[in-house]
Amino acid sequence: MRLTPEQFWTYSEWLFQHNGLRDGMILALALSILGFLVGYLVSVVNHGPVEGFLKVSQVIGQLFSVDLPKFSFRRAGAIAGLAFKESIRKKILVLIGIFIIAMMFAGWYLDQNADYPARLYISFVLTATNYLVIVLGFFVSCFSIPMDIKSRTIYTIVTKPVRPLELFLGRVLGFTAIGTLVLLLMGLLSYVFVVRGLSHTHEVDTIDASGRIGQTNIDNKHSHTFTLNDEGRGTTNEAKGHRHIVRKEGDKIVVGPPIDDLTARVPIYAKKLDFTGRDGVKNEGYNVGYMSEYQKYIEGDSLSMAVWEFDGVDANLFKDVISYDLTISAFRTYKGDIVTPVGGIIYFRSSDEKVETERESFKVKEFQVDRRSIRTKLKGFKDGQPADLDFFKDIAPDGKFQVVIRCQDRGQYLGMAAADLYLRPADLQFWWNFVKGYISIWLQMFIVICFGVMFSTFLSGPVAMIATVAAIVLGFFGFFVDQLQASTTKGGGPIESLIRVPSQLGSQIEMDLGSRTLEEAIRLMDTWILTGVSQLKSAVPNFDQLGTADFVAYGVNLFGGLLGRHLTIAFGYFILTSLVSYFFLKTREMAA
Amino acid sequence: MATALDSAPTGTTSANDPTNIIVETRNLGKIYRDFWGRKKVHALKSLDLEVRRGEIFGLLGPNGSGKSTTIKLMLGLLFPTSGRVFVFGKDATDVSKNERIGYLPEESYLYKFLNADETLDFYGRLFDMSAEERRERTAKLIKMVKLEHARRRQLKEYSKGMTRRIGLAQALINEPEFLVLDEPTTGLDPLGTRDMKDLILRLRDEGKTILLCSHQLADVQDVCDRVAILHQGELKELGRVDSLLKMQDVTQIHASGLSDEAKGKIKKIIEESGGELQRMDNPTTTMEDLFLDIVKESEQRPGRRGGRGEN
Repeated sequence: MRLTPEQFWTYSEWLFQHNGLRDGMILALALSILGFLVGYLVSVVNHGPVEGFLKVSQVIGQLFSVDLPKFSFRRAGAIAGLAFKESIRKKILVLIGIFIIAMMFAGWYLDQNADYPARLYISFVLTATNYLVIVLGFFVSCFSIPMDIKSRTIYTIVTKPVRPLELFLGRVLGFTAIGTLVLLLMGLLSYVFVVRGLSHTHEVDTIDASGRIGQTNIDNKHSHTFTLNDEGRGTTNEAKGHRHIVRKEGDKIVVGPPIDDLTARVPIYAKKLDFTGRDGVKNEGYNVGYMSEYQKYIEGDSLSMAVWEFDGVDANLFKDVISYDLTISAFRTYKGDIVTPVGGIIYFRSSDEKVETERESFKVKEFQVDRRSIRTKLKGFKDGQPADLDFFKDIAPDGKFQVVIRCQDRGQYLGMAAADLYLRPADLQFWWNFVKGYISIWLQMFIVICFGVMFSTFLSGPVAMIATVAAIVLGFFGFFVDQLQASTTKGGGPIESLIRVPSQLGSQIEMDLGSRTLEEAIRLMDTWILTGVSQLKSAVPNFDQLGTADFVAYGVNLFGGLLGRHLTIAFGYFILTSLVSYFFLKTREMAA
Repeated sequence: MATALDSAPTGTTSANDPTNIIVETRNLGKIYRDFWGRKKVHALKSLDLEVRRGEIFGLLGPNGSGKSTTIKLMLGLLFPTSGRVFVFGKDATDVSKNERIGYLPEESYLYKFLNADETLDFYGRLFDMSAEERRERTAKLIKMVKLEHARRRQLKEYSKGMTRRIGLAQALINEPEFLVLDEPTTGLDPLGTRDMKDLILRLRDEGKTILLCSHQLADVQDVCDRVAILHQGELKELGRVDSLLKMQDVTQIHASGLSDEAKGKIKKIIEESGGELQRMDNPTTTMEDLFLDIVKESEQRPGRRGGRGEN
């Protein structure tokens, strides 16, 4: 899982500092102007330029003068109830059956040997639910209004005092209600599946002569070692992403259920990460080539270092210990002792750099989270002199401090990004994070339903479905369009690819058609197509970013700011699709 | 049997009072076009007509004459290519006019997965009616259309006649002032047809205005006060049913108990007066009246066969 700093912006930061509001307004304005122009052109064809303008203006005027003021929730509720009943009576809940069967199969095939089975289980249920619910969303939403038009039941609706927005909202609410019901059932099943699937315990297999160090038997394809303290309590080592509490009860040693696998960490991230080069001068961090675009590197045994700057950390979140997680990588320029990991040094210091903790050596745990901690009462240096320190009094009196990491080994490099080190106050409940993951899925489903109903107001069922699928695909894989446009993905645009694939021309080889003009023409057309697709992409929701399964699977708290942001985006699309639907429902002939 | 022909329409009022005009079409035209905007059918040409408050107005015409198009234009389901339609003085596309309209479409396009109670409750909610009002209206209408026994059955299990009746009930859920009935007797048996016609007349007597579209000429003749006859999208005839059907130069005498001698005298008088006797015989009843009489008789004396006809 790659966490990026923008995922941790607070709601207000996103809305105001990072232009969430501005971008939304620009998109709304651009689409409004485009909508007006398209509407006007259609109206011109039917009524001529002057009458056409008056008609479009009339539709817009009626929205504010009549249709919004006279909006009735009872009517919208009636249509929602109808959509709900229709879905239930057409046996949409069969989907739940499919889901149960899928989970039963998954139970057999999910790899118990995986390093982190919890991630696998959670990712599986969330991803499966996500796709199933999105499919449900577009199936129910795309066909409803076209079916009503085809069966002419719409005649008995629109000849009643039903306004276009009520028709749209009714459908959206009805389908959302059925989706919510399905999602609730799936969520419940998924939770039980995850918890039961991961639940296991161990028996003590061997124990040494002191009776304090031992090993468990193998269960779920792994075992643990453990050490008990004087009081006969302890925890096992971490294996498969979890530990067990071990305690002595009389003569017997009892291993408890797994802990730490289903959790919701609440990371506190640094405001920024700065790098210093080997000469002690600030730089951007070293780029070690095509290893990682995400992380930057510091050089070993030099003045090079990475400095995370924290601000506003609340001392009340920590008692005696400050826990933090480290996920950094190593880049070796020589093989050396390949068994021993690359070493680093870590220490905390005040923002004025006058007070710092003792330097602690560590070995890099690559590809896993290194769970570390320091005590709040600790030894260090004040103005260069050894001193006993209180972390939140001496180092971070106003919650502001720095964490410094250096690489110890000459010629080796350590790689890190801003999100690779975070403080970890007490974890939140996993079930609540799981619920939040489902809220994210719900939001995606809601957007899909809005788009499906919107397209169905002016397209026939199958065409509306294709349009909705296109919007979803563009939403999920929009980043690919960006990559193509930026030429970071080789092989050219759609036309060039169509030539390359049948002629078996590798993506690394220059396209050679024997005519430079033809090649240029193809590239130009590809650029136009990609620009067009890119414009379309900016109008559809970015489902890739709306997906939060990784947060839940990797045990990171899906914090309110991000969820609020997604909620705002969903609401924005709801307004947008409402307006487009209003326009089409208002101007189309239902009996045509 | 009460018909429009033997009783004057009680609700018909002055045609000149603009408040008494429920529907007015002015130079109304509709051209159906294909996807590319090419003209497919000229369905309606320059239609001018008025439907007045309290009357039963019939739209008559063969298939494809423009009846349904006219109704759809009045209801705002289609937009005119030329001309205007006003309903209650408002443009036909104005949604608020629908609060005073009831519409029974040709095939009772209802949601088959709902039962009768749910159907009426749903349409009641579309009129923003309170739950209590909906319950009251639903009970009353279900009783009126005689569907008490089937109120909890889904409409997909209904016969065509039952579907027609629940369709009418949904059209009446808002106690409309103006009722548009598209082929109201389609699919009904003669008893159902008679009930429907009686109901239409009763609704007219209650002060409702009714627009009836049909190609069942007998229905139109029985209930309509005025008719418009359309053919190939054009208005061919418009007027009161009784005056349209009246044959000005033919005299009809109904008498009973006449001897052959008396009939001979009547013939003679006609000839002496310079008239021409076209026909003198025993009148026949209509098939509908015959059928209704037989059913009525059968209910009174079960198991007996009537002896009206000759084998």
